[in-house]
Order: sequence, then structure tokens, then C-alpha cells
Amino acid sequence: MKYLFKNQLWAFALITLLFSCESGGDERPLGKYDTGILLMNEGAFGANDGEVFHFDPASGTLTQNIFELENGRPFAGLLEDLVLEEDRLYLVANTGKVEVVNPGDFKSRGAVISDLDQPRSVATARGKLFISDYGPYDASYMTPDSYVAVVSGLDGGLVKKKIEVSNKPEDLFAFGKYVFVASSEDSKIEIIDADTETVTKTIEVSGTPVQFFEQRGDLWVYSYDAENIYFQSFHLDNLTKKNFLQLDIANATSRIALGEDDRIYILTSTGWPDYNDGIAVTSIYDTTLIPSWKTGTGFYGIGYDQDREEIYVANSKGFQGNGEVTVYSKDGSLVKTMEVGRGPSGILVR
Amino acid sequence: MTLVFLVFSLFGFSTSQDTVALAEVAVYAPTLDRFAQGQKIISFEKKDLEAYAARSLGELLQEKSPVFVRQYGAGMLASSAFRGTSAGHTAVFWNGLPINSISLGQSDLSILPIQAIDQAEVHFGSSGALFGNEAIGGSVHLGTKAQFGQGFKGRLSQTLGSFGLSNSAFSAGFSGKSFSSQTKIYRQFAQNDFPFRDLSKPGTPEVKAQNAQTEQFGFVQDAAWNLSEKSQVKASLWWNRADRQIQPVMGSATQDTQQDQSWRAVLDYVRFGEGSIWNVKAGLVADQLTFNGSENRTRQFLLATDWDIQKNENWTFKIGTRGTFSKGDLSTYSASDQRLELYQSAKWEASDLLSISANFRQLAYQDQFEPFLPGLGIDFLILEEGNHQLLLKASAGKGFKVPTLNDRFWNPGGNPDLLPEKSKNGEIGLHWLKKGDFAWEQSLTYYRMQVDNWIIWLPQGNIWSPQNIRGVQNQGLEYQGKLAWKSGQWNWEARASYTFSQALDLTSDAQNPRQLPYTPEHQANGSLEAQRSGFSINLSTFYVGSRTIGTGNARVLEAYQLWNAGLSFSRLRWKKLQFPISFQVLNLLDRDYQVLYLRAMPGRSFQINLTLLL
Repeated sequence: MKYLFKNQLWAFALITLLFSCESGGDERPLGKYDTGILLMNEGAFGANDGEVFHFDPASGTLTQNIFELENGRPFAGLLEDLVLEEDRLYLVANTGKVEVVNPGDFKSRGAVISDLDQPRSVATARGKLFISDYGPYDASYMTPDSYVAVVSGLDGGLVKKKIEVSNKPEDLFAFGKYVFVASSEDSKIEIIDADTETVTKTIEVSGTPVQFFEQRGDLWVYSYDAENIYFQSFHLDNLTKKNFLQLDIANATSRIALGEDDRIYILTSTGWPDYNDGIAVTSIYDTTLIPSWKTGTGFYGIGYDQDREEIYVANSKGFQGNGEVTVYSKDGSLVKTMEVGRGPSGILVR
Repeated sequence: MTLVFLVFSLFGFSTSQDTVALAEVAVYAPTLDRFAQGQKIISFEKKDLEAYAARSLGELLQEKSPVFVRQYGAGMLASSAFRGTSAGHTAVFWNGLPINSISLGQSDLSILPIQAIDQAEVHFGSSGALFGNEAIGGSVHLGTKAQFGQGFKGRLSQTLGSFGLSNSAFSAGFSGKSFSSQTKIYRQFAQNDFPFRDLSKPGTPEVKAQNAQTEQFGFVQDAAWNLSEKSQVKASLWWNRADRQIQPVMGSATQDTQQDQSWRAVLDYVRFGEGSIWNVKAGLVADQLTFNGSENRTRQFLLATDWDIQKNENWTFKIGTRGTFSKGDLSTYSASDQRLELYQSAKWEASDLLSISANFRQLAYQDQFEPFLPGLGIDFLILEEGNHQLLLKASAGKGFKVPTLNDRFWNPGGNPDLLPEKSKNGEIGLHWLKKGDFAWEQSLTYYRMQVDNWIIWLPQGNIWSPQNIRGVQNQGLEYQGKLAWKSGQWNWEARASYTFSQALDLTSDAQNPRQLPYTPEHQANGSLEAQRSGFSINLSTFYVGSRTIGTGNARVLEAYQLWNAGLSFSRLRWKKLQFPISFQVLNLLDRDYQVLYLRAMPGRSFQINLTLLL
């Protein structure tokens, strides 16, 4: 599963946008969800009760189920990812749909509701929507027919094409006319040309690639296996590998957050049967390595608020009902704990 | 204590012989309430079962009892929750044979068709001493009922209804003085393409349910012989097969399918002594569940014997033992289990006013003796005056549940170190009966229960594993009333019931315990029926209060109230043939509702039934 959004990147983009708005005088009033923190609750399998909560760290106000609140119908899906692009917020349900809402008021703009199987993430390029999808399970629970679906408009609609990719595509990243696909099961990065809607290049990487992010002007992909984590950057001009870093962090999961001073917070879990979760902190650019910044059980998501320098750790509480989000300051002290929806899996900082 | 009772019981048997407990002409079946003083039992009448013949046991319990039934869609998985407990906390018996799946530890009420049974009784509260494993919240007792001396009887019934419903049933029986045979064959089919508002799509359009077709068929064969004046053999065999598409939750487009096939067989030998009845029971339950092609098989063999001894007018005893061997070949593991149980009951009818019963059971499974289960109950006639009778019932008991095979052995995640779930239950109730022209029967019961070591499956990384984590405190109030009167040519009957059920989760947030998910605090039902010269008209309703869908301050599902109405005429005849005909409207007001979150349920539907009786 995929766990983190392009929050930092888009927070940065938003700040840039805000500054440019101020200078340009083309001021659009901020919507009530244009600031604060969006808390993503995945929901429980078979219940489709995924939802988004909104938290205002300034006032401490928590608003539940904002998709249902603003649209008069439940989200009705397992919420896999939240992606903010092109002034639209995409809510990706791995139960088979993508909802498109206005980021400011969460009102529905459209959706992709048919021809999807298990969508994981979205990216926009050349005015089109690209949706990574595991495809259907076969009889032995494999996903040999994974694809990236193409939708002509940014506000949803019909799937016009399915581009075959390697198994279990997760995160997408659009740069110019290129859409990078993290094909997790086959340790590949596949690059789609958004104009021709074909895979133009495949790059082998180490581990299970799951998350793209930008740091110090470079595009990186984070991947992991049982013993190590890996960071790989790319030359965006000729689509080749640039820098590579392997770090000795065992039991890493796919969930990471970009923290202060280019630090990276990584959720770890020993899994069955010992089941000890933790958070490790590292950095690509210096020797920072804190193997056990926090330990616990039930960690299901992590996020970082760059403005307040606060770390959000989501706990699924066994998916029995409401989960919990704990907020820590960067020195590790507890700021706040709040009851959120079922299966909280990450945050999007607005 | 166990031993003392055992010895006492044995002596009791050898020294006393006065009355023959049962006439040999009847096919013997032990009554549920024989040692259940102070406990709450609802017996569904024949006409209740007939009215629900084309429907399921789940619907009967939801609409006519204090039980909450979790329905995952029309004809889909339906599991019972008694007094705020979970689906696995209900023991289910068929002709005295425990039939809950040994791998799942529960029964799907949707695939226990009422067409296959002749009687249904529901017992409330923890009564491990009387009924053994899984009787924590309550137990359901289904049975067939063979009779002697009835000659030939035949019945053919066809129901047609909305959304492609077509149920057919055929039964025939013959019985003489010492032999009885009864055969039932049935098929139940529903296309289930009902329209509903799909909340997962923009604009919430009305769509038709997809992938929800159900088909069920089976047969039941009962036979009984009087071997001699003092001994009887009876045998029952039930085969049921259900082929179901699994209706997806709104927002998902899954195409799951499930086949369930069950063989259940029971053989009883009964020997009537003077003042005693000796019963030997052998049983077999073989279940096969195939989900999306993945096959799970379980088998359970049971051998039991008991002695029921009426020592004198005041004292009745029963001692028994039960051995169970079960084996499961599931998609991810194979495992077997053995259990041995020893139980005894004693009833003291101190006077016409007071009777007291005490029940005990000791169970051993694998190498553990777990646990010793006592139960005690009294019935006290407080008042009998004219047509009025006021009865006080009080009881206390314990219940338990051995972890299921899946709980212990599922690979990966099964936890062999799980402890049995345990419960303590106490209840007190008043029953007020009035006979005569304006007759009524009313009961009010207060119960309190504590369930510990409640097993919950929790994720440990990607693997889910069961743990004895939850503690729950339950209490509640159950009212039931029935009123019968006559006005002119019309016979009237009104029924009403109300249930308050509190089940507080002491684990998730001990400081602020909240109601368990999917446990409505309030439930009620009512019905009114008028009959005249074979013509009958009825109107019934049931209400299910709001309930959360998860622990904590989670999403709350709205309360709902549904209405059903029906007409029937039973005196259509031609020569020796009778043609009862009935017509029912379900969800009369076309209410859009969900029992479980985002599980679509059908709106208004119609059913017409024509039966041919010979």
C-alpha cells in the first residue's frame, strides 16, 4: 500500500502559489480546507468507510468526514491516496474509483467510477489524468494485469486507455510530458510519455519502489526491502539514474515523511509475529541515523507539518473502529493525541 | 461437587421408579425447558414458521425476537447477536446436534432455511451448563418433528416474489403406530436484482443490485421406529447446499462467489425405563465452504448419552456425557480437535409454587480442563388468582466458548495460546399470564452479563491474529407481550416487544466505555392479526435503533423501522385437497435502509404463496 502524499512538495507549491497570488493581486479567497491538515482515514476492508478529517492545528478544531459533510453522500471506498494537483484534490479509492473535489471546499468536481480495479495513485500531465492500478487479482492473488489508466480530462470521466506496466504500480510523479511509475513488485521505474500514452523507458532500481519525492531540486524514489532502504535519484533531462544511496534500516515499510532539515522519517515494523513498530530517522545528505526515534504498535501512517515542524503518527488501533493520530514536536515530545476515523494512514498538509 | 451430584444421581436412578415420563406413541425429544428454570426461552409457533417458510431464520429472529441480526445484504451472511454479544456467542442446534461451523464458530442464518425445520426455539443468556460450548449470549434450537399415527400427509408449496424469487418445497410423510417417515425437498432461488440508491457514485443514482443471486436446495429425511414398547430409534438427515454470489458493499465491484454444503445426520436411541429415559445420540456434521474456488472442509462426529431420571414427584435428574471429535481441512491448515463433556442437571419441584434447577458441566478439550460451568435457576409462582398468574423467574449461569479452529490454527496468524471466552450471566424476570376472553402473556426480563477473554482478530503488520483482548459488560431489558381477544366473528392477536441492550466495551477506552459496534441499544417489534373463517390479515413492524459501525466515536448508522403486511386464506378446498394461499408485502413503505454500513437492502417487495395440502 502507499502511504504518503506529495505533501511536502505540494505544500511548497502552495506556498509559492500563495506568494505569487499576493504579488499578482489575483487573489482567490482561501477555502476552509485550504489551510490546516487533511487526515486520511483508509477505512476497513469490507466496510468502505474511508474518509477525510480536517484538523486545524491553530484552533485545535477537528472536522470529521468532510467528503460526506460537503457532498451529502459517503465516500464509500477504501481511501488509498490523496493527491493535490492542478488545483484539484484527487481521492483515490483502492476499491475502484477516483473522486475529484475542490481542495478549498471539498465539493465534488467529478469522478472516475468505472473500468478501474484497484487504483493506487494519480498524477496529471498534459491535461490528462493518469491512474496507477494493480489490476484485478488472479486465482492465486497475483496481479499480472497491472496498468496505468488514462482519463482525458482532469475532472474525471471515462478511462480511455490502459497502459500495461509491471506488477503493482504505486506512486506516480509527473514531470513535463513524463509520468514516472513506481512499479513496486518488479523493482522498476517505468516512464510513460503522456503524449503517446506508452511506456518509453524502464529503469531497474533496488528494493520495492513506492514513493517519489523532491529534495534539493532532485527527483528521488524511495524503495525498501527487509534489510535496507534505498534512495535513487534521476537525471530529468535524459531519464537516467543519478545518485544512489543504500542505508542499513531493517523492517522499513513504504511509509515515509519528509521532515525538517531534509530529514526523512521512516515507519518500520517487524510484522508478524513479534509486531514491533517504530520510526527511524535518516538523511540523504548527512550521516543522521536514528534507528528508533519512536517505538510502539499499530503505526499505520506518518506525516510531517513543515510549518510547525510537527510529526503526525497515525495508529490504526486494529481497525476495530476509530484510529488515533499523535502529534509530536521534532524533539519527540508529545503535542496532541486525537481520535480520528478508521485506519488513519497519513496526512496532507495544506 | 460434580462427583457428588453424579453419585447422587446414579443412586437416585437405581432406587426410584414410579412414573413413565413419556408415552411411547410420541417420538421422544427432550424439552428445552426441562431444567431451564428461571431462563428465558421463546418458542416459535407453527404459524410463525409457516409465515416465514419462504424466508430465512435470520429474518424470523430479527423481526420476531429481541435478537439483532447482522445482515450483509439480501440472502447474504446473516449472523445473530444475542444480548449484545457477537455472532460466535450463539450456540445453534439441530435435533440436539451442535451445528455451528467448527472453523468459524458460528452459523449463517441465511442458509438455515425454515422450510427444512418443524420447530424453532430460542434460549437467552449464558447457559454453558445446559448447552455447552458457545451458549454465551444465547442459543438457537431447531428441529424436525416426526409423529406416529398420522397416516399419509403431503404438501407442495410454491412461492413467487419480487426480484426473481421462486421458492418450491415438497414434503411427504407417512406414519403408522410404530414407524414414521417424513421427507422434505426444497429449492429457494432469488435473482436479487433489486434497485437501490448507490451512495458511492456521484449523484447517488438508482442502480440494480449486481452479483447477489442466491440459490439453495436440500432435503431432509426423518424416520422413527418403535423397536418395542420401551425403546425407540429415530434418525434425521439434512443436506443443504447454497450457491451464492456475494453482494458487494457499495463502492466495491467484487464478484465473489460462495458455495456452502452441509451434511447433518443424527441418530438417537431412546430407552424408556420406569421413571427414566436413557438416550444415546450419534451425530455427524460435515461442512464444505468454497469461497472463490478456495475450499474449506470440516467434519464433526459426536457421541453422547444421557439419563433422565424422575426420582419422585419432586426430584428430576439428568446426567450425561458427550464426546466430540472434529477435523478441519481448511485452505490454509489442517487440524483436529477432541472434546469430552460431562454434565448433570437436577430439578427440585419444592411445591406447586416453586421449582429450582441446578446444572453443571465440565468440559475438557485437547489437554485442558476448561472450565467448570454451573447454572442455577428458579421459577416461583408469586400469585395465582382467577385467570391471573404471576411468575418470577431468576437464574444465573456461566458460558464459555472454546476458540475456533480458525482462531487457533489459521495460517498465518492463528493463535494456539488463546484462552476460551467466558461469560457470567444473571437475569430476573416476571411473567404475567391472563387466561380467558381477553387473554395476555407478558414478560419483562432484566439481565446482566460480563464477557471476558472476548476474541478479536487484530492486525500485526500485514497478518491478522486473534487475541483474548476484549471485556464487555452487558445489561438490558426485554419486554414481550401478546394479547388475544375476540370481537364478533373476528379473532384478534396483538404482539409487542421492546429490547434495551447495553454492551459496553471495557477495553478500547476503559475510562469512557462505549457501546459495542453494531449493537443497537433499542429494538422493538409489533404485530396485529385478525382472523375470521380461514381468512387472515396481518400487519407487522420492527424497529432497529441506531448503532455505530466501529469502536470509539465512530460513524453511526441511522435507526430504521420497516413494515410488513399480509393476507391469507386457508379454506380453499377441492375434495380432499386444501389450498392455503397467502400474499405478503415486505418493506411496505419502501424504506431505504442499511443493516450494515453500505450494504444495500431491498425496498418494497411482494410474495405470493400457494400451497397444496393432502
